[in-house]
Amino acid sequence: MQEFKSFEIKKEEIVPLAEKKKKEGIRLLMIQGYVDKEGQVVVCYQYEVGNCIESYKITGEAELPSISHIYDLAAAWPEEELYELMGVNFQGLEMRGRLFMPDTTLEGRGQILVTPLSELKKKMLGE
Amino acid sequence: MNRRLNNELRNTNRTVSSSLEEPIHAKLYTEGEIIKDAEVFIGYNHRGIEKLATQKNFIQTLALVERVCGICSHSHPFTYAMAIENIAQMEVPKRGQYIRVIMAELERLHSHTLWLGLACHLIGFDSMFMHIWDFREKIMDILEEISGNRVNYGMIIIGGSRRDINDDMRRKVNEMLDSLEVDIIKMRDMLLADKTIAMRTKNVGVLPYEDAIRIGTIGPHGRASGVNVDVRKDAPYSCYDEFDFEVPVVQDGDVFARVVIRVLESVESIKIIRQALENLPEGPINLGNKLPKVPAGEFTARHEAPRGEVIYYVNTDGGQTNYRISIHVPTFKTASTVPFMLKNNTIADAGLIIASIDPCFSCLDR
Repeated sequence: MQEFKSFEIKKEEIVPLAEKKKKEGIRLLMIQGYVDKEGQVVVCYQYEVGNCIESYKITGEAELPSISHIYDLAAAWPEEELYELMGVNFQGLEMRGRLFMPDTTLEGRGQILVTPLSELKKKMLGE
Repeated sequence: MNRRLNNELRNTNRTVSSSLEEPIHAKLYTEGEIIKDAEVFIGYNHRGIEKLATQKNFIQTLALVERVCGICSHSHPFTYAMAIENIAQMEVPKRGQYIRVIMAELERLHSHTLWLGLACHLIGFDSMFMHIWDFREKIMDILEEISGNRVNYGMIIIGGSRRDINDDMRRKVNEMLDSLEVDIIKMRDMLLADKTIAMRTKNVGVLPYEDAIRIGTIGPHGRASGVNVDVRKDAPYSCYDEFDFEVPVVQDGDVFARVVIRVLESVESIKIIRQALENLPEGPINLGNKLPKVPAGEFTARHEAPRGEVIYYVNTDGGQTNYRISIHVPTFKTASTVPFMLKNNTIADAGLIIASIDPCFSCLDR
């Protein structure tokens, strides 16, 4: 049976936590993100601990330290994705440029998750 | 990436067809025929499925996520349904779970044989390609017998499986498996002993264990480099803990190792399907096909799809639609290995090496 546990953490805890998990040989499963009902960006660092996913959540921070120097590409691609989909800036992340969004869509970065669908249609289709 | 080297090699540009009909752009920096560095560009076909899912209810979303990928069209609704069922604390009836697993393993079989055939085609061994795709039709026939469809099976509903496997069907599928098993074993013996395949794939596109771990590679691609990660064993879900099967792992990390892994996994999949058919429990297959009441919550569900781990993060707010779905597919974690594998190989092998991750850029551009 797969399990899921969620924890709230602060911005300054991200890097020490990643270093600790890496040292323990724990896999970074994914970095997820969404925008909550108050319009705040939420980023979840998810680690695989046995059959449990531990999800460490940071709310309301548009700039976060990158953990790509600890988890390499396993962190770099998810961070780049969150930059492109939600406009979160990861300090220290070596950006490859556009990775997931086409150049023609919202200039290839930023706001697709943040913007309501009706406004996206106006921007992209000129409706 | 070695920027200095890239600058030195920048004037050697030319276009080469990579043999793949996929929206990927690989930029190779070469010295003569040897690839010295590479970059991979993806994301040419973003479809906005995650965004669209926030407008759909839980039943509509099943049909939507089934279309993330044609090959893994069971894996996506399976994983999504597990996330919703966990948030809603629903217990899927045992018979429904067994049917889900049967479909998942049939999907693995048809995906692996599809890739094995294509790999033979890419190295110019077209008679083997046609032979493999010929008996792959038997797998498609079984899928059609059970679900009524060759792709987009529609077998998953929230709380179970949509269609049952009756005794008549079970007998018929078992007979089909008998014939298929002979073909799979024959394929295994031919692929693993064939000199042409060995010459074209051994020591080609090597991804060492250290690089695989560092990059976070998963699935058959990771297991071919010694990364022993398989969600079915590591975090058993549905009823996978009730079956006796092995997870093959090899260390060589080359294209041949990726062939070996997929051949051996095909044999294991048949073992699982046989056990599931033989021990199919009595009882209902689902909890009823109605719109479930899902409370506010979140869950990350994982499933070992044919190409590796599929991850669905689902966030609900107590309403009838998803607040957020985040889909991550195996190619997300394997495409980043391509530049490392291409280095010091020849341009002629680039297509085969890129294909050896069994990429699905359609999945990636969800």
